[in-house]
Amino acid sequence: MMHCTMDDLLALRDGDASVWARRHVEECAACRSELDALYQRVAQLKALPTLRPPRDRWSVVQESLVRGHVQRRRRWAGYGVATAAALVGVMVLGPAFGNRGSAEDLAQAKQQSAQLESTLQEFDAETRVMSGREAELTARLEDQIAQLDGRLADLDARAAREAMLVDLWRQRVQLMQQLVEVRVARAKYVGL
Amino acid sequence: MTLSLTVPDILVARAKAGDLEALEALYRAFETPVYNLARRMCRTSEDAEDVLQETFLEVVRSIKSYRGEGHLWGWVRRIAASKALMRLRSEKLRATDELHDESAGGPPASVGARIDLERAFDQLSETSRAVVWLHDVEGFTHEEIAEQMGRTVSFSKSQLARAHARLRRLLVVEPEVT
Repeated sequence: MMHCTMDDLLALRDGDASVWARRHVEECAACRSELDALYQRVAQLKALPTLRPPRDRWSVVQESLVRGHVQRRRRWAGYGVATAAALVGVMVLGPAFGNRGSAEDLAQAKQQSAQLESTLQEFDAETRVMSGREAELTARLEDQIAQLDGRLADLDARAAREAMLVDLWRQRVQLMQQLVEVRVARAKYVGL
Repeated sequence: MTLSLTVPDILVARAKAGDLEALEALYRAFETPVYNLARRMCRTSEDAEDVLQETFLEVVRSIKSYRGEGHLWGWVRRIAASKALMRLRSEKLRATDELHDESAGGPPASVGARIDLERAFDQLSETSRAVVWLHDVEGFTHEEIAEQMGRTVSFSKSQLARAHARLRRLLVVEPEVT
């Protein structure tokens, strides 16, 4: 007598068995017993003890997350350096296509931005834990700074109007100030 | 498994906004089921720990793309299964797996004595264990397993049948030789 294969039994369990298998299992005690054993095996598998991780891996995940965040900031800071280099060209050539007042404004904005970058670097501990609101604000400000840096880096220093550069650079300073307020002010508040 | 795998929507929203405390809370909620799934599929606890870590790195990276469709645990579980299967696909583990498969036809280590289901399950090849666990315990369909493994539905079905046939053999009570 032909009996059900394991494929037949699994199909019976999953409700997609052949007509032959369905009829056979009704008539054959041995195959019914095998099908019961299959159900029991699966029930026992589901009831196996839950295995728990022997070590806490959250610190590694968190470290990687914070490291990624800092790398992102440094990459954006790199854009800032490129922008500054482009602006140096403008300042050197400034008298040729702009007035002295604009060149000084540009230098001042650049200096302010550099100071704010230093302040952020000083307080930007890699292990800092951010709240949801702080993380959201920080990400938004950093995105805006990155966009601004991208625009500045794309500008042809010779062709750009100095007033436009000063304006963009001042916008950068304002965003940096907000970022410092979010990051540093909170750090002081919680005593980090 | 009797762990509660439901997390409040507000926690998910905070995690999506990058709140580290919320992300850690998600980790705490899912670390055990993820590790359990990985440990049942992988040969060693170290591999399972690595899968746990890789899963949560992916969760943290991708949580913004989670659109709240279906249970969050279902989403995390798919990532965990994918990471575990990726690990099984690595060259080194594949070689081990093939070796293990070759020994599948031979006598089990404990012929003559009844072994429990957990030990029998451990004697399956990694691929077979993965298919059995994902299908019979976690509730993945053969289509989902085939997609995640990069194989066909028939491959998944035949692996499941072979694995159950082997489990059955391993669990048969052999008469004690006196």
